[in-house]
Amino acid sequence: MKFLEDIILKLGAVDRRVIFVLIGLAVLIPLLTPISLPVRETPTTVKFYDGIEDIPKNSKVLVSFDYGPSTRPEIHPMNVGVLRHMLRNGHQIYISCLWPDGIYMALDALEEITDEVNPDNESTFDIKEYEDYILLGYRPGAEAVIKGLASDLRKVYTVDANGNFIDDIEMMDGIKNLNDFAYIYSGSAGYPGTFEWVKYGGDPTGVPMSSGTTSVQVNEVIPYVQTGQLIGLLAGMPGAAEYEKLINVPGIAIQGMAAQSFAHIVIVLFIVFGNLAFFIKQRRDRKY
Amino acid sequence: MSFSAILGAWIAAFLTLGIFSYLYRDNPFYKIAEHVFVGVSAAYVAAISFWTQIYPNLFGRLFPKDGPLAFTGLEFDFNHEFNILYLFPLILGLMMLISVFQQFSWMARWGIAYTVAIAAGLKAFGYLNSNVLNQVKASSVDLFSGSLPFFSLGGDSVFNNIVLVVGTLSALMYFYFSKEQTGNFGRFTRLGIYFLMVSFGASFGFAVMGRISLLVGRFNDLIDYSSADYNYATLGVLLFIIVTLGIWSFQNPEQKEN
Repeated sequence: MKFLEDIILKLGAVDRRVIFVLIGLAVLIPLLTPISLPVRETPTTVKFYDGIEDIPKNSKVLVSFDYGPSTRPEIHPMNVGVLRHMLRNGHQIYISCLWPDGIYMALDALEEITDEVNPDNESTFDIKEYEDYILLGYRPGAEAVIKGLASDLRKVYTVDANGNFIDDIEMMDGIKNLNDFAYIYSGSAGYPGTFEWVKYGGDPTGVPMSSGTTSVQVNEVIPYVQTGQLIGLLAGMPGAAEYEKLINVPGIAIQGMAAQSFAHIVIVLFIVFGNLAFFIKQRRDRKY
Repeated sequence: MSFSAILGAWIAAFLTLGIFSYLYRDNPFYKIAEHVFVGVSAAYVAAISFWTQIYPNLFGRLFPKDGPLAFTGLEFDFNHEFNILYLFPLILGLMMLISVFQQFSWMARWGIAYTVAIAAGLKAFGYLNSNVLNQVKASSVDLFSGSLPFFSLGGDSVFNNIVLVVGTLSALMYFYFSKEQTGNFGRFTRLGIYFLMVSFGASFGFAVMGRISLLVGRFNDLIDYSSADYNYATLGVLLFIIVTLGIWSFQNPEQKEN
């Protein structure tokens, strides 16, 4: 027993750099040798999927790219999935960005789902700018931008991301403010993002909306799903993986879940060893 | 693969591994990556804010084509009409910029006061409506509704409603300090602490999950960059950083971490 306790004490006092290396390996090995783990849909993801399915076909929907490269691994798979799902249902997509680098995330996502770039991929679409989608672009101002979109979109967006006048774009005919959209979706990594869209976009206008968020935000955003202010929620990379399964296009999120699981096992083990070591040390100190 | 793509991969691999090198200890590679990140981010946001907001939406409305200020020689055609009200944000913005000079520092207060007042007014309504009223409404549940099952893991149920009401009240009561938390009241507020601890635990778990997701993303990119298409960028940079850090650590033993 003493031998076992000594081992636990040593594990509890291990150099933090050893833990970093072990977590690194736990993530790296499953990525190099892909392991397939089952993915089970959670109710919030199913609600999210059903919410998009319930939008009347060929509607106009607003998709906001509110994240940058730093949170791309979590949010990007969700947004690519959402674009696929919406295009599959024939919707016209209007893309806005509350984050300055969101515009490049949007361009990457569009490239991933375009036939021209991926001609052999069955999950791509023959989409054309100004017919199937329009890239409105980034505007600084956070909640002030959303408030502006809710009252008069054309005061916020004079030109689109390509510098073309909004008034001259046929796809913008009949779009005055958020009320003219059938649905709002925000792929959000923080401020400005989901909270601001709910407060100044979804709630005041009554337009149904949903969101995909980073794991860090989930605890704060999930009450909005329970109140119905958000129809559904994609919660971090697991949410993205569940959604990829629901739309039947396995992608990078599903691949990443094995690495997630192994890293969690290592972290949980070290938390357990750390606590055991703490209690053993406390008992021994008391004894001597 | 184009030269720019390969160069981009080498830079991305260097910056990623430079940031990761901090896990060993603070070092020049980390410092380079950190400074580049901060500098590029600030410059990028400044440039994009000017060209997408100030240029079309402010200058476009103050100096439209054939507008009353056309005599100045400044004309920006964005299909806007002249609007004199936009002079105020221009003046307030200039006052904030001028404050870099010590003797004009008071000028910044006007712009800041305006921004704070607007933000306070805007946020007060949003919070009250979305975070207070709607949440209170959602917490007002029918505890003994005959239409609900007694227990359900995923959906609404009588049991879940009881947990919701007890959890909300006990956690709120924990922050009620006008009565000493002893006896039955103390036991009830202690229950509130347990609910709060479960909530903090869930937050911690989600935070860990988020960080691992980001690590997965960086590793995916590093794996891509380690291919022959990118001239083995990851492996080359990794080797360079390890060898350089080894020599640097050997030459600076006094800086070794405690």
